[in-house]
Amino acid sequence: MIKRLSYLALFSFFLLSGCAHNQAGSGAAPASLPQMQTVSLVQPVIAQAQERQKLSEKAAADEFAQDYDDEYGDIEEFNDVVENGEKKEQKLTIADPLEPFNRAMYHFNDRLYFWVLKPVAQVYGRAVPEPARIGVANFFSNLAFPIRFVNSLLQGNFEGAAAELGRFAINTLWGVGGFLDPASSKDINLVKQDEDFGQTLGFYGIGTGFFINWPLFGPSSPRDTLGMVGDFFLQPLSYFQPQAAASGARVFERVNDVSLNIGDYEALKKAAVDPYIALRDAYVQYRFQKIKRRGGLAIPEGGSLLGEKK
Amino acid sequence: MTMKRNFALCVVIATLGIFIFSAAAWAGPATDVLKDTVNKVLDILRDPKLKPEAAKEAKKEKLRIIYEKMFDELELSRRALARNWNNLSVAQRKEFVPLFRQILEKAYADKILDYTDEKITFDRENVLADNQVEVLTRVITKSKEVPITYRMIQKEGAWKVYDVVVENVSLVQNYRTQFNEILAKNSSEHLLETLRKKVKEQ
Repeated sequence: MIKRLSYLALFSFFLLSGCAHNQAGSGAAPASLPQMQTVSLVQPVIAQAQERQKLSEKAAADEFAQDYDDEYGDIEEFNDVVENGEKKEQKLTIADPLEPFNRAMYHFNDRLYFWVLKPVAQVYGRAVPEPARIGVANFFSNLAFPIRFVNSLLQGNFEGAAAELGRFAINTLWGVGGFLDPASSKDINLVKQDEDFGQTLGFYGIGTGFFINWPLFGPSSPRDTLGMVGDFFLQPLSYFQPQAAASGARVFERVNDVSLNIGDYEALKKAAVDPYIALRDAYVQYRFQKIKRRGGLAIPEGGSLLGEKK
Repeated sequence: MTMKRNFALCVVIATLGIFIFSAAAWAGPATDVLKDTVNKVLDILRDPKLKPEAAKEAKKEKLRIIYEKMFDELELSRRALARNWNNLSVAQRKEFVPLFRQILEKAYADKILDYTDEKITFDRENVLADNQVEVLTRVITKSKEVPITYRMIQKEGAWKVYDVVVENVSLVQNYRTQFNEILAKNSSEHLLETLRKKVKEQ
């Protein structure tokens, strides 16, 4: 077994030294383009998307850049926007036909967090020291490697897939079964590819559709719900027997996760004027950027990604 | 001979050029301003003398002075209201601007307060327009890295922040969506009343 894994590690090293070493994180746009030229099908789409990305970035920057005659006066440009019936502001919105249901689920999840998850996570957090909890989070993250690997491949991000394969091999072998994360260290520096099936669907132009706030799972959309189902089959825990143990492991993962992030949700809620809308918008922005920035490639703004435009 | 010398000269110029260019591309005055300000904020948040509850007001006041220089409150408000700005009366605008600034300051302080014991790196500066840049920073904690991007605008020589993007979520855009929803169903006065209440609670 060990022997087989070390072959895997060797193989991945081979792959990595070939192409993945200039991986500069998710933000660097054009750096990874030359490798993509082999994929002729994807090429025009990328070029087009890049062009549009440039244009929209420029628009976003110029939009408010004019001088104002009177600091508190009307802003001409805003009137134009209304008159032409066009939206010049960079806008990311999502349709919300299920708002009453979603708001009810928001309150349900809110209570679940404050009454159950947070107290349990706090007790757990006091009992287990932080380094151990980070180890647990690393372990679960390493276990879910097939999701990131397969979705990188599905998006034609071979560099990312290779990085994930290398991360899995290194962290499993030298990271004590995934509890440590030596692959992220300065010397190896393989960047984790946070990909999932929802993002893959988005990459192929499937729109978000509308907003669904699931009980337990939280903010989502038809596309991302389908994505969750897809990821379920790629998640090794799903094949764990008996079923009860698998579910238990998931709950444990969630509690561990909450224990490391106490305060994040509270901060968002406290800062918001309408916490439900704030959460919904954070979800929309977060997913949009994740799909747009994947592998350093860009996808048109506001266009095919979001089904509904207001 | 001359060719050789010309060649050598070219190399020198090219090398110098690269140095100058890379220095300019590395970081700009906006990054320096931001670094300085963020460090000042962290110093105040970490100051043990300002930790106790009794010193809360003093701490708030010290932060307020820094934030006033750090954020462009007009720019923030205009961007967050967008076309709704024109629907407010001038008097309402004048009330809105400081109210919104206070809410944002609190949101930002809470966000950065979580991370006071962690390391902050200033990674890159991207030019968005002649007078606008974004500065990419990361807060590195034991369990994760949180990217925080500051969008800055230069007015009358001073660089000021007009948006903070935390983990890909723009604060200004997040508020814009909220204000849009609220103003679609309610009056401007209703929004102002909500903000007044919120500031009082803080």
